Amino acid sequence: MNNKAQQLDVTPLVEATYYQAVTAAIRSEAIRLLGEGKVAAVVGYRAGRRNNSALPAIVTSIDQVDQLIFSPACVNNLALYLTKAKNEVKGKGKLALVAKGCDLRAVAGLLGENQLKRDDVHLIGIACAGVYGAEADRGLPLCEATIARKCRECTVHEPQRTDAVTGILPKLKELPHLESEELARLEAMTPKERWDYWQAHFARCIRCLACRQVCPFCYCEQCLCDKNRPQAVESSPRPAGNSAWHIVRAMHLAGRCSACAECERGCPMDIPLNLLNRKMAKELKELYAYEAGLEPQEKGPLTSYKEDDDQSFIK
Amino acid sequence: MSRIGVFVCHCGENISRTVDVEQVAQAAGALSGVAHACDYKYMCSDPGQNLLKKAVADHNLEGIVVAACSPRMHEKTFRKAAASAGVNPFLVEMANIREHCSWVHEDKAEATAKASDIVTMLVERVKKDKALAPITVPVTKRALVIGGGIAGIQAALDIADCGHQVVLVEREPSIGGHMAQLSETFPTLDCSQCIMTPKMVDVANHPNITLHTYSEIEQVDGYIGNFRITVRKKARSVDMGKCTGCGVCMAKCPQKKIPNNFDRNLGTRPAIYVPFPQAVPNTPVIDRENCTWFKTGKCGVCQKVCGPGAVDYTQEDELIVEPVGAIVVATGFELYSIAEKPKGSPIKGYGEFGHGNLPDVIDGMTFERLASASGPTGGKIQRPSDGKEPKQIVFVQCVGSRAREKGISYCSKICCMYTAKHTMLYKHKVHDGQAYVFFMDARTPGKGYDEFWRRAVEEEEAVYIRGMVSRLYQKNDKIVVMGSDISVGVQVEIEADLVVLATAVQARSGADSLAQKLGISYDGYNFYSEAHAKLRPVECATAGVYLAGACQGPKDIPDSVSQASAAAAKVMTLFARDELEREPIVAKVVDRYCVGCLACKKVCPYGAVEEKEIRDRQGTLLKVVAFVNPGVCGGCGTCQATCPSKSVELDGYTDEQIMAMIEAL
Amino acid sequence: MKHDFEPKIVAFVCTWCTYAGADLAGTSRLQYPPNVRVLKFPCTGRIDPVFILRAFQKGADGVLVSGCHPGDCHYMAGNYHARRRFAAFRKLLEFVGVDLERLQFSWVSAAEGGKWVEMVTGLTERVRTMGPLAEFKELEQAECWSGKLDTPELNEAYQEI
Repeated sequence: MNNKAQQLDVTPLVEATYYQAVTAAIRSEAIRLLGEGKVAAVVGYRAGRRNNSALPAIVTSIDQVDQLIFSPACVNNLALYLTKAKNEVKGKGKLALVAKGCDLRAVAGLLGENQLKRDDVHLIGIACAGVYGAEADRGLPLCEATIARKCRECTVHEPQRTDAVTGILPKLKELPHLESEELARLEAMTPKERWDYWQAHFARCIRCLACRQVCPFCYCEQCLCDKNRPQAVESSPRPAGNSAWHIVRAMHLAGRCSACAECERGCPMDIPLNLLNRKMAKELKELYAYEAGLEPQEKGPLTSYKEDDDQSFIK
Repeated sequence: MSRIGVFVCHCGENISRTVDVEQVAQAAGALSGVAHACDYKYMCSDPGQNLLKKAVADHNLEGIVVAACSPRMHEKTFRKAAASAGVNPFLVEMANIREHCSWVHEDKAEATAKASDIVTMLVERVKKDKALAPITVPVTKRALVIGGGIAGIQAALDIADCGHQVVLVEREPSIGGHMAQLSETFPTLDCSQCIMTPKMVDVANHPNITLHTYSEIEQVDGYIGNFRITVRKKARSVDMGKCTGCGVCMAKCPQKKIPNNFDRNLGTRPAIYVPFPQAVPNTPVIDRENCTWFKTGKCGVCQKVCGPGAVDYTQEDELIVEPVGAIVVATGFELYSIAEKPKGSPIKGYGEFGHGNLPDVIDGMTFERLASASGPTGGKIQRPSDGKEPKQIVFVQCVGSRAREKGISYCSKICCMYTAKHTMLYKHKVHDGQAYVFFMDARTPGKGYDEFWRRAVEEEEAVYIRGMVSRLYQKNDKIVVMGSDISVGVQVEIEADLVVLATAVQARSGADSLAQKLGISYDGYNFYSEAHAKLRPVECATAGVYLAGACQGPKDIPDSVSQASAAAAKVMTLFARDELEREPIVAKVVDRYCVGCLACKKVCPYGAVEEKEIRDRQGTLLKVVAFVNPGVCGGCGTCQATCPSKSVELDGYTDEQIMAMIEAL
Repeated sequence: MKHDFEPKIVAFVCTWCTYAGADLAGTSRLQYPPNVRVLKFPCTGRIDPVFILRAFQKGADGVLVSGCHPGDCHYMAGNYHARRRFAAFRKLLEFVGVDLERLQFSWVSAAEGGKWVEMVTGLTERVRTMGPLAEFKELEQAECWSGKLDTPELNEAYQEI
């Protein structure tokens, strides 16, 4: 958000040829998998109609494989197709999934939460340098001016535990961690200032629940916030209910969130939701040395404990 | 629910002194859904309870709030009274206006307002209460005892004598455990085998006991009253039905040089063997790792000499499923070795004691075998290196135990007493010998224990030196013991012929994996945890599993036997009824909304959450959901607080009930 | 003594330790401010962060959460899970601007009637000096969507309606 494009470096982070190579690799892997009957469908990306955009694509036959691409416009977290969006690919059989680092983190989380079995998915890992931010000028290549805020501090550029890997990234330029800086700025505020900051955002929320819809971890069949017996969270878009919704959402994702920031990207009101997620991730790392990673964990930080956990806040 | 009765108690003057009870009753009467409200001097008295019952009938009440003392005091009383009047006991709530109000506040107006608030909250809660019925669980009256040491034997005999079937599982080829290895026992010095072997025979002959030796627990399924135990009966290579125990096979076995573990490797045994002559069952087992037939495919002597043809090289491990209702865990202990690194310690073993490489530095159990009349030396005290009778013997206490820097901070409890016993046994056998004991404290809390220890010091002339030993090393044919005597503050050096270390009592290796199979908890040293250190020292927190003996922590024989009988009594209490009845405060999963993330399973302290498959009529798997076994659920509700979609609900404390109270704030 | 402001304090407690501790305060006739309303749970493990949030929304000026000391949990581990859950939740509340001085966690055993009094009195007095929790109360009052048409697209869309 608010990348001041004109002041920022527009030198490409990776060469355009890199994306051609990755695209070719995805296609050849897709042809092999579909050809050998290893999978029934490949979930990946195809080009969108608008300039330099991309959409999720479900490819079921070799003649469709040419649709598949990879570019910095491939922003969606495709792990969604393993849970909520499963209906769209249901009954097709085993899936292959084109997955960036943050998608893979979601896959690892979903494996730990018993939502899929590793054998049910063929993972085509992408070495990803980053994707476009929400307001990026799509005429520019992936560069400091256009990269998404979350990608500036990505720790999972290189895929792991996948069935295939495409791309070898050059050494990436270190970029300032804008999101962590923003987090630090908020943390330095007084409680009242923070309250005002968040209320200004939450008050604008229209409760479209796009944040819930795009989240690979919001896969509950009945969301707590939709329940009315009892109604824990007011469902109409009033400031009180909005605040409750965002607090509950952040709490439910704490220790599970894969930091893909799809919630923030999906938000039509530009609420910086990933700041909440990043804050929780930061606290859980400090408290319990937990970090969402590519390795599935048997238990998350809030479903396990140690007898000597910190309790300095308890009298 | 629209017909609620509110009963406000004066509790003599205990409540009415600071709370205007009439006003509270009046305010309650005005609440929506309240059909009847009144106050009374003593609600818990007979007339008070009758008043409540009469009001139920007169006003056709569906829910009840009694505003009185703490529910911890009289909830049961009023629930029972309501039940006799036909109201489900779980539709009765208590508003605590005594302990939480009248007794802790002075201002009558404030206290009255608070009492009214409390009543309002409980009225709102009652509206969301659901009628609940006690849960009944059938009981299989058959017990499993794991471990055939003295604790397991005692528990098995007690339960079997009560008329119930017992399955006793022992890892070794014979039952008997550590007690069978001992020479004499403190504080009476009676011969261990003399008191132990009759009990072992009782087990073998008991019509109610099924004995599985050379067997291990493979898998544990089910819950209290309804366990299914899979036992792995290891291949013995000898048909127990055919073997007569004549022992010819053992005599003829050409492989005789295998260190005998039962004798702490002081003696040797053949490849086909019974661990000791009084073994139960007296059926040999082939040690396949050392048997020539199994190593090379040649030999077969034992099979040739066996008259009844009991030797069977083709035998395989057998898995047996035993349904049982209760489990007694009596897996005992293991001795720490100075060569091993204590659990969680940065220091590897006792380098200063030679890491176990000095042959004349032995542990207490090895000394027991030396002193035992049926031991490898026939009861003669001879040191392992050259068989010489030691004239100077040094005992070192607290080796490993009470040594935080070594990683074991607890006291092993039995060593003070057995070391005192060792000094006596030594003195009885080597009249001109001298025993020294390095000790920190002599801990003798037991019947006749201190007298026994004093006897060792005062009559049997053991020299007790208060202090630690810093180093042991070989010098010619002596072991030099360097220690300190802190009572006089000097360094002591003794040239000993034999050194006996009282090494720490530890949990069995593999204790943790058995605990995981059983779903019971264990401490940082892998000793099994009791449900409550003081009030439930025999039960595990996992219902239906009980502890006996040193698997819970270091224990001597009388303590192990007592606990074994206590565990047996607990099992018999359980078996006294055909069905278990439990309070229905248990969690339930709403299959429709559960997405099977199993967060509930991860946090459940009882292991009560299982996976359940939901299938359609054609049998196609639709989804996997969580299922809470009501027989196992303890009712803490951690699952519900953890469940993101609240698809699991704790009866009696549902979100609706709690939210209703919050909304009434 | 009369005060200008009487805070509303809500206590979420487990039945085995803190509820019993509060009972003990009663049987010992210890005195404490009457501002607290107690909700009984089987275990701190049952206490959902949503309850705390809801209590603030329904007018609580301070919330106390209290249960068994570590190792004393009647259900063995409920309080350990609660400890992690609340360690995370309080950080979240702090981050969205709730003053954590209003939220107190404690371990009060069945034998600690005095500690219960100390906890309740301490929180009540502290919150009294802080004043009402205006933020949540204002939020409850705020009725309408206060979003602004601050982007050209929104303006354009609005004009089209």
